[in-house]
Amino acid sequence: MRRRGVSDNDMPSFSSGARWDASGIPDAALAALLAGAPPSPDESAPLQNVADVLAALRVAPLSDEVAGKAAALAQFRQQVDMSSQPNRSRRRRPTLLSSLLRAKAATAAAVTLVGMGGVATAAFADALPSSAQQLAHDTIGAPSPHAHSSAHASNNKKSDHGGTPVGPSASGSAAFGLCTAYAHAKQDGTAAQKAVAFRNLENAAGGAANVASFCASVPHPGASATPHSGPPTSHPTGRPTTHPTGRPTTHPTGRPTTHPTGPPGS
Amino acid sequence: MTKKVAIGCGLAAGVAILISVIGPGFADVLAAAQAGSDEAFTKLWLDANAALLRYLRVIAPLAADDIAADTWVHVIRGLPRFRGDEAAWRAWLFTTARRRTIDQARRRSRRAEEPIHSVHASELPATRDSADIALEHLTTRAAIAHLADLPPLQAEVILLRVVAGLDNQTVAKLVGRSPGAVRVAAHRGLRRLAQVLSEAGVTL
Repeated sequence: MRRRGVSDNDMPSFSSGARWDASGIPDAALAALLAGAPPSPDESAPLQNVADVLAALRVAPLSDEVAGKAAALAQFRQQVDMSSQPNRSRRRRPTLLSSLLRAKAATAAAVTLVGMGGVATAAFADALPSSAQQLAHDTIGAPSPHAHSSAHASNNKKSDHGGTPVGPSASGSAAFGLCTAYAHAKQDGTAAQKAVAFRNLENAAGGAANVASFCASVPHPGASATPHSGPPTSHPTGRPTTHPTGRPTTHPTGRPTTHPTGPPGS
Repeated sequence: MTKKVAIGCGLAAGVAILISVIGPGFADVLAAAQAGSDEAFTKLWLDANAALLRYLRVIAPLAADDIAADTWVHVIRGLPRFRGDEAAWRAWLFTTARRRTIDQARRRSRRAEEPIHSVHASELPATRDSADIALEHLTTRAAIAHLADLPPLQAEVILLRVVAGLDNQTVAKLVGRSPGAVRVAAHRGLRRLAQVLSEAGVTL
């Protein structure tokens, strides 16, 4: 095909001056080339050129195309090594996760315990609101809210006394212990006769001279004519109204030398 | 040249040695590679990497080597779970490469920066120095350059048919076009190539 109006001299790339048209190549020939079939020897030169280009694309690997072999093999080796230890790699993640969860759970439990401990402390200190205190009383044996008011009253009473020591009541259950301590203190010659507890004892006995006879009448707490059977039928209610304050200044030493001998109640 | 037979000297020796296809032994090679055999993996890699690079040097000339390495990282990771014959293997490999190329293009367009390296991997000095190898490179590089001058879809489908060895149906699936559109694109590309070569008087 010639281009009209253009001289052959102006078209240096076409030696013949004729322009070959690739649209004439049959689809079958192109399909064969794509499928890798070698072109038949009688194919036109342009189609042979295409076949050569495609063949050049198929040549065996060149040196620069295999340069990455070592890196690829190292990558492969690393992957194989990782997956050859499935137990370790699979277990490690859950272990990390579960240990984190365990740590969190432990922290939460500790916080809860601290919180509960605080509540329990408050309950036994009788410092909760009335309803909460009642709940604590029912569940963990903390003082009842009714005792709460008497405790306050006691506190008020104590503050009225201006902090004066009260000591144990010698007329109550502490009598036997006081008597024992008194006897020891007297025996050793170190009796702090001015101690509040001993003053109470003397008051209960009606004077220092009567302490010995008073103490002789105090029953031994362990000697009971009728041994206990079953739980006690009655319990003390409320908190004690008086409390010993401060540490005792004297301590009993040695074993008691005298013991109550009569049956309780005598 | 020591291992001329193993490497092949292509057109320089007058014989076009095609990129090998493992063939009937593929299942065994694949199974061995999946079991961790270095030798089997090397066989798979040697069989496919050159084809991969030639494809990538046309569709992503500035990042072909990086994308090829990235493709192998993904393929190695997925290798134990791969199931299929050699055609499926090649389809998977080139599908992975294509996805890596698209990801790379997205990252590149986000960064909108100039490529750092302008030296093409194929321009690096070869380890073997012989006239045969030089001609070999020139020929293959010239062929890649001719393909790169074609419209992108035409070049890509020709490469996937010729270099990757995939059939028309597989290529259609891979590029997301109908088989008819792929066939037309491939034929148009070859006709265009024939026209260019004829007009330029170029022979390899």
